[in-house]
Amino acid sequence: MLSPERRPSMAERRPSFFNYSQNASPLVVPHLAGIEDPLPATTPDKVDVLIVGTGMVESVLAAALAWQGSTVLHIDKNDYYGDTSATLTVDQIKRWVNEVNEGSVSCYKNAKLYVSTLIGSGKYSSRDFGIDLSPKILFAKSDLLSILIKSRVHQYLEFQSLSNFHTFENDCFEKLTNTKQEIFTDQNLPLMTKRNLMRFIKFVLNWEEQTDIWQPYAERTMSDFLVEKFKLEKPQVFELIFSIGLCYDLNVKVPEALQRIRRYLTSFDVYGPFPALCSKYGGPGELSQGFCRSAAVGGATYKLNEKLVSFNPTTKVASFQDGSKVEVSEKVIISPTQAPKDSKHVPQQQYQVHRLACIVENPCTEWFNEGESAAMVVFPPGSLKSGNKEVVQAFILGAGSEICPEGTIVWNLSTTEQGPRAEMDIDAALEAMEMALLRESSSGLENNDEIVQLTGNGHTIVNSVKLGQSFKEYVPRERLQFLFKLYYTQYTSTPPFGVVNSSFFDSNQDLEKKYISGASDNGVIYTTMPSAEISYDEVVTAAKVLYEKIVGSDDDFFDLDFEDEDEIQAGGAVNTKQFESAIDDDDDDDVIMEGSGEFVGEMEI
Amino acid sequence: MLQFKLVLLGDSSVGKSSIVHRFVKDTFDELRESTIGAAFLSQSITIHPHDGNEANAKDVVIKFEIWDTAGQERYKSLAPMYYRNANAALVVYDITQEDSLQKARNWVDELKNKVGDDDLVIYLLGNKVDLCLGTPDAEIGQESNEDGDDEQRVRAISTEEAKQYAQEQGLLFREVSAKTGEGVKDIFREIGEKLYDLKRDEILSKQNRQINGGNNGQVDIHLQRPSTNDPTSCCS
Repeated sequence: MLSPERRPSMAERRPSFFNYSQNASPLVVPHLAGIEDPLPATTPDKVDVLIVGTGMVESVLAAALAWQGSTVLHIDKNDYYGDTSATLTVDQIKRWVNEVNEGSVSCYKNAKLYVSTLIGSGKYSSRDFGIDLSPKILFAKSDLLSILIKSRVHQYLEFQSLSNFHTFENDCFEKLTNTKQEIFTDQNLPLMTKRNLMRFIKFVLNWEEQTDIWQPYAERTMSDFLVEKFKLEKPQVFELIFSIGLCYDLNVKVPEALQRIRRYLTSFDVYGPFPALCSKYGGPGELSQGFCRSAAVGGATYKLNEKLVSFNPTTKVASFQDGSKVEVSEKVIISPTQAPKDSKHVPQQQYQVHRLACIVENPCTEWFNEGESAAMVVFPPGSLKSGNKEVVQAFILGAGSEICPEGTIVWNLSTTEQGPRAEMDIDAALEAMEMALLRESSSGLENNDEIVQLTGNGHTIVNSVKLGQSFKEYVPRERLQFLFKLYYTQYTSTPPFGVVNSSFFDSNQDLEKKYISGASDNGVIYTTMPSAEISYDEVVTAAKVLYEKIVGSDDDFFDLDFEDEDEIQAGGAVNTKQFESAIDDDDDDDVIMEGSGEFVGEMEI
Repeated sequence: MLQFKLVLLGDSSVGKSSIVHRFVKDTFDELRESTIGAAFLSQSITIHPHDGNEANAKDVVIKFEIWDTAGQERYKSLAPMYYRNANAALVVYDITQEDSLQKARNWVDELKNKVGDDDLVIYLLGNKVDLCLGTPDAEIGQESNEDGDDEQRVRAISTEEAKQYAQEQGLLFREVSAKTGEGVKDIFREIGEKLYDLKRDEILSKQNRQINGGNNGQVDIHLQRPSTNDPTSCCS
């Protein structure tokens, strides 16, 4: 326990001055900071917590601490928010690449950048694009989404649905069969397979209790489990492990894979027929701005362009590059990318995540479901020319996500493969996508009755199996126009599938014997770098563990109570109606589902 | 109802928050709804457009989503999110602070640089007229401050200077006192009317689209949430 007594919360410390309305009870949360109690004109000379770096974890932590009642000084050496989670313009990327290659941004290496002259001096401007340094998707049922709603940070954001998950197999993209309805209406699935698939889906929803089924396989791989226990065949096994579970390779253990498959299935139909959401204008870069704003409303002080030079654990004074100083009564939390010069405690970042972001001049609308502008394509092990052992994930974002202009699309590829192989795998995936797109956009599909069929009610259905066959026979002549390509390697201390656990932060916890003479970072706590994980799942865990180290307990982590909660709900901002889950009961097996597509698209949560 | 995003700008201590505070508090009873939350402040007003067109003769409710800087302006640390999709901005300066108009000019430049919308309505606002009793100002005539026991300060920025700048830049302009509250309500009414004028075509075309089925008719960023009662939404 670091603080024996809990500090009074924001609400307890601030008198409610908004009591003018007779029919309203006193405000629990002040809505405008600084009216009654103007902020000091200079940097505070004493704070409870200093946070360095405005990435996702740091921003969530800052907001949690600010609302709990701690005084927080939150700085970033960059002139933008987001740090390792930032969404950057093309010009910002250029600067960033130079800094990475000069070695001034730790935890990143081998940044290679190509930018077409069309950006900047051509028809596009640098600001038309937002490139995520670590792209993420948000599952509809996840701890981060609950916190977004609880803290009202979701009001700063706009979300779009993501329902398109493809596996790439046999040189074509298979649309995922992920709902009960799709399983039952899929003409290509044998009856036995359908039954086995349904049996598995029922099991996975509360797999933990059914130890008799999975325990014997606890140390074995998920594919063994699916094949032996549920008699599933390779296409379904791959779909479950890689598209639904978004696992990285075939060695994934049963409990981890089960948890990840369930994450997808329980998220499905929470807000509509899709499992995940993407924020507009950028992913984690946008969310971290939202949490920082929330922290600021809660009283935290923000300063960009501010670099930590050193922290003295004896005097508890942190010094900054501009000469200012602050006394920190509790803890200093630092992102590994913003460690001060002469730091000696930065944790080892031994795992590589290889990433490629590219912008293609092609709308690729074929790849999105109607009303959406995002899709996920997974290249399972062995599906690529390079003979990949690890998955390559491609997260695709179109103009509707507001990170690129009409007529362009952003592909974010990443793999957990280590070393030089990784880039070969990524290039192979890129080539596969390029070929598919060229075939798709130039094969005159509209006139091909074999592939495009009209249903009775006038809907056009594309037969993806035949589509795939026609792809294979088609050799495109033209090349895609790439506007931008950025390769880089990011390092992280979190292994694939790893969960950030509290012992990680212990490694450089106080204990004076660990102090190294001359180090500028004695006594500080480092946060974790983003892992390869495509969802936000690690963020809340990491922020919560850090919160507990600072406050003493995580009981009041985002324990917010807004006075006008009822009003908001009456206004309909929070939609509590749950869609009937597509997977939890099956007395309606024969009903064919149609027209569910109208819920996808933009939404409020 | 039309909804617009309004952002506040200006250096710390010019009284940005007090203006909003005054707007919300003073006019509370007349307003249709008042939502107080940590995210931002929402406040609605009713305007009476009069442009001869009978289709627009009825009152229009305008809801402002008001974003305070929450202190992030202090070290020029406002996030892009803050400016994004803003329809209107209040740029506030303190008429008793000599350099504060120059700082307001910088914020105007910043706004024009960061906000893509050419229709952005910028309102330049000189605050704290109550502190300068001695300066007659026929232009707005709002200096009737009986609160004499307050600290008297000298006006450092003339109305003319600010007004001229506002005209050059095409900004709305007014001097107010958040303390006495005079003129504050008018700011929001003027902004509402101007936005209504600017966006009328857009609004009408959206309304037409709504009649023809589809769009939920909100003006800006506001999104369609999943319908909960569609009979085809589940297969029971």
